[in-house]
Amino acid sequence: MVSVEPSTREPLDRRVNMPVSALAGRRRRGRQATPYVLALPTLIVIAALLAYPIVKMIMLSFQHLTQRDLFTGESPSWIGLGNYTAVLSDSFFWTVVVRTVVVAAVCVLLSVGLGLAVALLMRRVTPWVRILMTVAMMLVWSMPQLVSTQVFGWLVDADWGVLNWALDKIPGVDYTNHSWWVNPVQGWTVIVILVVWGAIPFIAISLYAGLSQVPRELVEAAVMDGAGPWAVFRSVTFPILRPLVGIVTTLSAIWDMGIFTQIYVIRGSKPELDYYNLAIYAYQEAFAKSQYSPGAAISILTVILMLGLMAFYVRQMFRIGDAD
Amino acid sequence: MGAPTLRVSQHRSRPGTPPARPPRRRRNTADPHVGRSRTGSLVANAAGLLFAVVMAFPVYWAINTAFKPVNEVETFTPEFVPRHPTLSNFASALNAPNFLTDLKNSVIVTVCAVVFGLIIGFLGALAIARFRFYGRRALILVILIVQMIPFLSLLIPLYLTMNGLNLTNSLTGVVIVYMVLVLPYTVWMLRGFIIGVPRELDEAALVDGCTRWQTFYRIILPLTAPGLVAASIYGFIQTWNEFIIINTLNDSGKWNLMAWLASNQTLRGTTWGPLMAAATLTSLPVVVFFLIIQRNVATGLTAGAVKG
Repeated sequence: MVSVEPSTREPLDRRVNMPVSALAGRRRRGRQATPYVLALPTLIVIAALLAYPIVKMIMLSFQHLTQRDLFTGESPSWIGLGNYTAVLSDSFFWTVVVRTVVVAAVCVLLSVGLGLAVALLMRRVTPWVRILMTVAMMLVWSMPQLVSTQVFGWLVDADWGVLNWALDKIPGVDYTNHSWWVNPVQGWTVIVILVVWGAIPFIAISLYAGLSQVPRELVEAAVMDGAGPWAVFRSVTFPILRPLVGIVTTLSAIWDMGIFTQIYVIRGSKPELDYYNLAIYAYQEAFAKSQYSPGAAISILTVILMLGLMAFYVRQMFRIGDAD
Repeated sequence: MGAPTLRVSQHRSRPGTPPARPPRRRRNTADPHVGRSRTGSLVANAAGLLFAVVMAFPVYWAINTAFKPVNEVETFTPEFVPRHPTLSNFASALNAPNFLTDLKNSVIVTVCAVVFGLIIGFLGALAIARFRFYGRRALILVILIVQMIPFLSLLIPLYLTMNGLNLTNSLTGVVIVYMVLVLPYTVWMLRGFIIGVPRELDEAALVDGCTRWQTFYRIILPLTAPGLVAASIYGFIQTWNEFIIINTLNDSGKWNLMAWLASNQTLRGTTWGPLMAAATLTSLPVVVFFLIIQRNVATGLTAGAVKG
């Protein structure tokens, strides 16, 4: 597959200035082709199935694609910015934007905050409590999103849900047959709890791993100098942990802006308008109403909204990937 | 909040540290908070236990429900242990229409997507990790960006493309889409493992007269085997859990197990016992595999962010 002739160590090295004989020069060209040959399949797949759809989606958002075009295979008519003006001038779109951002912000704050608290707590407890915490988190982390959403749907079930039973135990509170979905604030609370519950394991375990990287000498030196627990955390632990917290927060923000499964499944695949976020909105436009073009426009606007977050994450990871 | 780091520095002794610093002595001298810390650690342990219980409760409740007969499920006052444990829920899940077909589809789609993704991804990772070439940085950038794009937002053009190619309602189409889904992360994960193999080993092999190909399959391939396992399991979990794409591209009958599970909730007006049994069954392989590779998943997403 790759060149079969015996080669020297040179191409594997970063040193480019090594003297090259005429013979080696011929080989060199062959060797230089190797990485391209290796990378080619990846490039083709990405280009065909990711780059092409992206271009197609951008085109689609400037077109008016009807069901009829889909069947006849005719190319849809161009309507310029029509989809965008329609979407952007719709007040419902802006309601959904605000809702998406607020829900994501609440989820990120809660999951990173609680995740950090749990990570710090894990350093404080005795080993067997730590093992129990880890096992519980692993169970949660490994559960498919679909399954955990269905389980939450069962927990908050109006008729026989265990949550209503527990709340009903509080004196003076009647939660018999209480539906959590009538009032969107209550419904979103359930969704946020579901998202945060699912997000804590990844965040807490990552941050716990990061905490064990904090050099003990630094902490001890700070204690010697009279720093209290809070001062140690603020001036020693957290600054070292900050890059990791940054990445975890960015990832959570990207994920939480695109919450889909939890909402879609817990609302029985037919979310009400009150439970739309941008991901659900785009999906429903395209696949429930067959309005592919406005759906594409909404998707593109969502990605633009998240561009800053993505750029930050990609930049951080790129530095790492480029360095080794 | 800040205390834990302090406590750990007193509790734990690393293997490398000399035994001349017994924790007890330090506790007596340096720490003025000894009395408070003891109740503090009691509180911490209690909080940790409470956290574990709260986190695990939904999982326990699902399993608990799965073993209950219907009259114990549909009651306002719940039983915390099934009084008459039964396997009937599992039986009705297994006998439900399409369960076996969709299980078969799941296996086919998952295995094909992961194997193809692994082969292509390994070559790509090899290029990035072992060679300096013009366009390498661009390739890394593309892979990272692609990994970030929410896949659902690409579903519309993907659906239209697959529709144009007559690949909707076919497993082939889904395999292709799933392969793309796992490819970027596979490349990124394997890159880390290949870098872990010291270049000196390659070089030594080359000096000893190995060809490039021999170096690859005698040195790099065996040493990255754990990485291949981890990447394939990660890909397995990703594709096994996916149901929205297959649900959108295909009609029922060509679904996978997750899409089957999702349809259980909507169509039947939700009978919770069988649903929880089915959910337990479908997540079992994922949970097992996840536990094997969890360490790699965590580090893959945040690798190198903290250098201690």
